[in-house]
Amino acid sequence: MISTLSFVSVSDLVIGLSLGSRLFLIAVGLSLIFGVLGVLNFAHGALYMIGAYLALAFTTQVIDNFWIGVVAGAIGVGVIGVLIEVGTIRPLYDRVEADLDQLIVTFGFVLVIHEVVRFVWGSQPYSTPAPDALAFSVSVSGSTFSAYRLFVIVAALVVMAALWLFIRRTYFGALVRGTSSDREMASMLGVDVPRLYTGVFFLGSFLAGLGGALSAPLQSTSPALGEQVIIDAFIIVVIGGLGSMFGAFVGAMFVGLMQAIGPSFIAAGHIAIPFLAMVLVLLVRPEGLFGGLGE
Amino acid sequence: MAGKPCTDDVQNGRNGLDRRTFLKGAAGGAAVTTVAGCLGGGDDTISLGALYIFSGFGSLYGEEAERGYELAVEEINNDGGIDGQDVEIISRDTEGDPNAGIRQMTSLIEEENVDGLFGLDSSSVAQSIAPQVQEYQMPLMATHAATPFLTSPEGEHDNSVGNEWVFRNSNSLSHDMYGAAQVAATLELDEWATIGPDYAFGYETWDYFQAYCEGIGVDTAFTEEQFPALEESDYSPYISSILDAEPDGVITPLWGSDLTTFLGQAEQSGWFDEIEYTLFSVGMGTDLPADGSPLPEGELASTRYDPFEPDTEENNEFRETYVEEYDTLPTYNAEGAYRAVYLYRNAIEEAGTNADEIRSTFEESEHTGPVGEYAFAPETNQATVPAIWGEVSYDDEYESNVLDSLEVSDPSPEEMQQALEDAGSDLPTGV
Repeated sequence: MISTLSFVSVSDLVIGLSLGSRLFLIAVGLSLIFGVLGVLNFAHGALYMIGAYLALAFTTQVIDNFWIGVVAGAIGVGVIGVLIEVGTIRPLYDRVEADLDQLIVTFGFVLVIHEVVRFVWGSQPYSTPAPDALAFSVSVSGSTFSAYRLFVIVAALVVMAALWLFIRRTYFGALVRGTSSDREMASMLGVDVPRLYTGVFFLGSFLAGLGGALSAPLQSTSPALGEQVIIDAFIIVVIGGLGSMFGAFVGAMFVGLMQAIGPSFIAAGHIAIPFLAMVLVLLVRPEGLFGGLGE
Repeated sequence: MAGKPCTDDVQNGRNGLDRRTFLKGAAGGAAVTTVAGCLGGGDDTISLGALYIFSGFGSLYGEEAERGYELAVEEINNDGGIDGQDVEIISRDTEGDPNAGIRQMTSLIEEENVDGLFGLDSSSVAQSIAPQVQEYQMPLMATHAATPFLTSPEGEHDNSVGNEWVFRNSNSLSHDMYGAAQVAATLELDEWATIGPDYAFGYETWDYFQAYCEGIGVDTAFTEEQFPALEESDYSPYISSILDAEPDGVITPLWGSDLTTFLGQAEQSGWFDEIEYTLFSVGMGTDLPADGSPLPEGELASTRYDPFEPDTEENNEFRETYVEEYDTLPTYNAEGAYRAVYLYRNAIEEAGTNADEIRSTFEESEHTGPVGEYAFAPETNQATVPAIWGEVSYDDEYESNVLDSLEVSDPSPEEMQQALEDAGSDLPTGV
């Protein structure tokens, strides 16, 4: 079902980058948590969904302020992440089958969070209005898109830069890099590894919540949201390399652009192309394009 | 058969070894079935099973249908019930999922012993259930699901599942697209595109629209098609692809909250400035809930029932009673569910609760309702109700979108068949 071929429009580009930006915010947290803790957090999509619901609640149901919703979404989800890590994942670190147990536990949280959200908000989708200051359209080369979409792209770039500085230039970042390389050595050198793990889990969850909250005005918010994004997030971190921030960024932008451009060229191209890219990466470079947090 | 003496099967001509009874026996044992049959409902109750989407993206359709059938039940029971027996509706959520739909249908038949089924919002659920009701010999009155294959007799096409137990009291997608093609003929646009849900309903809408356009001689090109997944949260890539193709008109069968989501994002993308006409085949203004995004005024939409057309005493009374009860205009899904309950009332009053007699009564009688007078076509059991297209406007009195400048499309089955043949299509009319 090939449709008419055409050059990529400005609109495709902006939409693709904005999709990539929100995917980056979720994928980078997933990648960070795996890179440092070795935990494949299946509940990461559900955490992203909570961020979107908190933004929705603060924007339309509690105080009519989107920006407070974004802050509440990010911090609230970060705190939920801490509770999950301390309460259910930490006791599993030393088990023989820790990876499998962690996977099952985090998958359990997918179901729990999904049902809690359905109980609180119902199963119908909601729309979150963009903040007033950005609630206008921009026209470039005949393409129209919302100013808020541009803001999300800028926000993702800022988060990327801040994360890079945080990991590369701060003491905590050095501890994170050291612990991700060799947990036992870090522990012998006096690093409080459990506390560091909790901090990283908070940071990863915080980013998921931030991504969900910032994305809320660009999409409908429903209980299906978490399941939709977690698959994309896994594709991104496999392509970019589990544990790599830069890989998450490149992978997210690639998947975002394919999602925007794919439908113009081939039916289901937006789904098929990222999957094919993932398969290709797994065959040629199994560790991903940019493996390792410290690169 | 809720609340009936357990000898009913013998009394009504089924000797207890028919296929339905056999299936019940296979599921739970004849003795258990007999006991269960005695336990279902009360002695003075007629039970009907309602299968709609009550959760997720299509839940608003279930809510609308519920209003319709509850109003009918209230009216009937206040009027003495059916031969002195109250009517009760046992509703079940199909979730828009064929497997869930079959589970719920089975439960209504085997556990609740309903006297008949009605409802169904999703075409895919309807196509899955149709063969099952034939197995159970249980009448099904579809009120919303629009696929022509539901009423196209089994064997007519690979996908046809129509059988003598399946009826539809609303018009079908095929009928609706014939009307859409007639609208396209008057608009004289150069290029058409579509954006529809990624399942049979989305594809069938596009296939029938193209076939009927070609069949009735609309001189146009079909240039772009996008089929996002159900419950898509972000339509922007699909919207962008359509806008890049620069069609003059777009027909969209998006529905439920998917339509609400699409409308908001299309508005942000400048869709309604760039696309000359958008035809909403499932999006008549009052089809959307009060808190949903309304259809933009001036766009074109279809409906399977209009609260103001026909201008009959029956329709006007139904509309005003409904508005008084629910403070909103009735949608076609509400009217379809309302009418389904009355169809069962009339059939049971005439023929009793024998499933085969109910089915025969549906087939043989002339019917009337808010939608007007109609009958079920022989071979297909498709109601002869018209498709209605019109221009969306806002009515201050009812605080709701309504349709103006109505184009009532009521082609004969022969005209529809001829159009499909002229287009070289093997699609069945389903009417």
